[in-house]
Amino acid sequence: MLQRESSFPKEALRYGLIVIVLGFIVFPIAWMIITSFKPADAIMVSPPRFLFTPTLDNYVHAIYDKNFLFYIKNTLFISVASTIIVVITGSLAAYSFARYNVGDGHILFFILSTKMFPAIAVILPYFLIFREVGRTGAGKFLGIGLDQPGALIISYTVFNLPFAIWLLVSFFQDIPRELEHSARLDGLSRLKVLAKVVCPLAAPGIAVTGVFTLIFSWNEFLFAYILTRKAASTVTVGVESFFTLQGILWGPVAAAATISVLPMLVFVLAMQRYMVRGLTFGAVRG
Amino acid sequence: MYELKSVHKRYGLAKVALRKIDLTVRDREFLVIYGPAGAGKSTLLNILAGITKPTSGDVLRNGVSILRVPPEKRDAAMAFENYALYSHLSVGENLAFPLKARGIGRAEVEERVKRISGILGIGHLLDRRPGFLSGGQRQRVALGRAIIRPADIYLLDEPVGHLDAKLRHKIRAELKALAEDLSATVVFTTTSSREALALGDRVAVLNAGKLEQLGKPADLYHRPANAFVASFVGDPPMSFISVQPRRHDGRVDFVTADGMPVASLAAEAVSDLNEEVGSKIQVGFRSNEVRIAQESDSNALRGRVDVIENLGYMKIALVGIGNDQVSVSVPAGTSLGVGETVAIAFPRDAVHLFQNARAVTHATPSAGV
Repeated sequence: MLQRESSFPKEALRYGLIVIVLGFIVFPIAWMIITSFKPADAIMVSPPRFLFTPTLDNYVHAIYDKNFLFYIKNTLFISVASTIIVVITGSLAAYSFARYNVGDGHILFFILSTKMFPAIAVILPYFLIFREVGRTGAGKFLGIGLDQPGALIISYTVFNLPFAIWLLVSFFQDIPRELEHSARLDGLSRLKVLAKVVCPLAAPGIAVTGVFTLIFSWNEFLFAYILTRKAASTVTVGVESFFTLQGILWGPVAAAATISVLPMLVFVLAMQRYMVRGLTFGAVRG
Repeated sequence: MYELKSVHKRYGLAKVALRKIDLTVRDREFLVIYGPAGAGKSTLLNILAGITKPTSGDVLRNGVSILRVPPEKRDAAMAFENYALYSHLSVGENLAFPLKARGIGRAEVEERVKRISGILGIGHLLDRRPGFLSGGQRQRVALGRAIIRPADIYLLDEPVGHLDAKLRHKIRAELKALAEDLSATVVFTTTSSREALALGDRVAVLNAGKLEQLGKPADLYHRPANAFVASFVGDPPMSFISVQPRRHDGRVDFVTADGMPVASLAAEAVSDLNEEVGSKIQVGFRSNEVRIAQESDSNALRGRVDVIENLGYMKIALVGIGNDQVSVSVPAGTSLGVGETVAIAFPRDAVHLFQNARAVTHATPSAGV
């Protein structure tokens, strides 16, 4: 084995770069967490104070006074529902694009092209649509209207689906057709082949898509801000409500932000074991 | 019994995979589909399996069309050329897959997996994923998954093509024995002449989507229907020398461009030979039908040894004669050097005659010439 020669300047450069990158990624998060434990008088001081008596006041304020867990609950419901819809419809659509070449690639490109305009361009029409739909009987029954979870679930689904399909198509294309043929000959029907062979092999792609979709929905602000007032507000809107006329409550903001990161962290860590490349390795001669 | 009736398969507008194939697979026969890469062998198997639909034509099982029967209802077991293993499952689960899909009980599944993996020498790999196997091991898993369950027909697409020589020999023998044990109907594709001749009860030679000849191995070897089959079946393949016919006294002599006689046949033996001017007439020989002659033999053709292939038990010399090249089997002990000039004696009347690549006659030696 060849051992790579490493000189001191090289190593120093390497670690220097790592420190810079980590500074951009980790420092803001660390600062947020530190701030969430600071007493109010230690937050906005210059120079910043690193030694202080930690307090849970900010968490108490966020959870009890501002009822922040209510936003977490809303967000959880909306983003999980939207993600489930996106993953299921996205997988089915991507499978048919990958296998039957529906639309000869043009439809697939058209779908992606819907991602090209900014969300702000459609927010006014969306607002008007959901206002009108919300006034109808069906809209009321399904909870699709302003300040109702249905409006956000639909908006997030519409906005995430194109990207999800695009992502999933390549995963389905990676699965050799012969595997499906083989499973058919082994005695499985078309649907069972999908369940027993195709989906397990596309699991990494489905997991990645789910993670992306959930993170997007969880962090989305614009739609949530415009389409909800109170009852269906999500965490991002919840944090915004801490920006009061009296001033910004930095401590509770940091606490709320920390709380809202936790579910995502747990989820992504849990999904990590499915997000492995190369599950189809060894299926066919290659 | 399976019948292909005028089965035609076109991919897109231009690419024809199969041209009006008529073929019967008899019950309990070992039918080998033999042809070069791209001949349409896999397409033929896929049509029998129901994976591919023919562009036109019909596929019958015991006289009933099965074109509309989906693969899972056809009771065909198939080993794919590129293995098609379930890479998310272990080797054992791959082997058990067709059994479990048919709801066979756990104990029986285990017993059969054990037996098949033992036969194929992959018993120690049952817990591994296909990604961690060598090509030969994967091919054995693919083959095992096909033959693990009783099926109406076994479709094996080059199932031993990627094994090393020793293993190929062993598995080939096992396959033949297994097929006889199970009295199974097997359709087996290969690009190896040796495999085709050794395994097939009958062999179908396929070239560029066309069925060139269907027959017993001996027929293909001794009475090839055309120059393609002659040059493709047998190892070494048949050699050809271009000749011109000269008729006299109720016989036809075939001479090279230099006027050297190569063969002489009775006129009635070549009655199929037509007088078309400019047609290409060739005399064909198996390497064991010609021999190195004495230098003094005035009827022998002179040629130059281009290549010598040593097979151990014998040697094959490729001798250039004019624009043609003839393979000659010589005993292993013969000392022969590349570049040497040798005389080749032809059997005169035991020849295969082709006109425009179509077989005219396969003359058998007559006594006393």
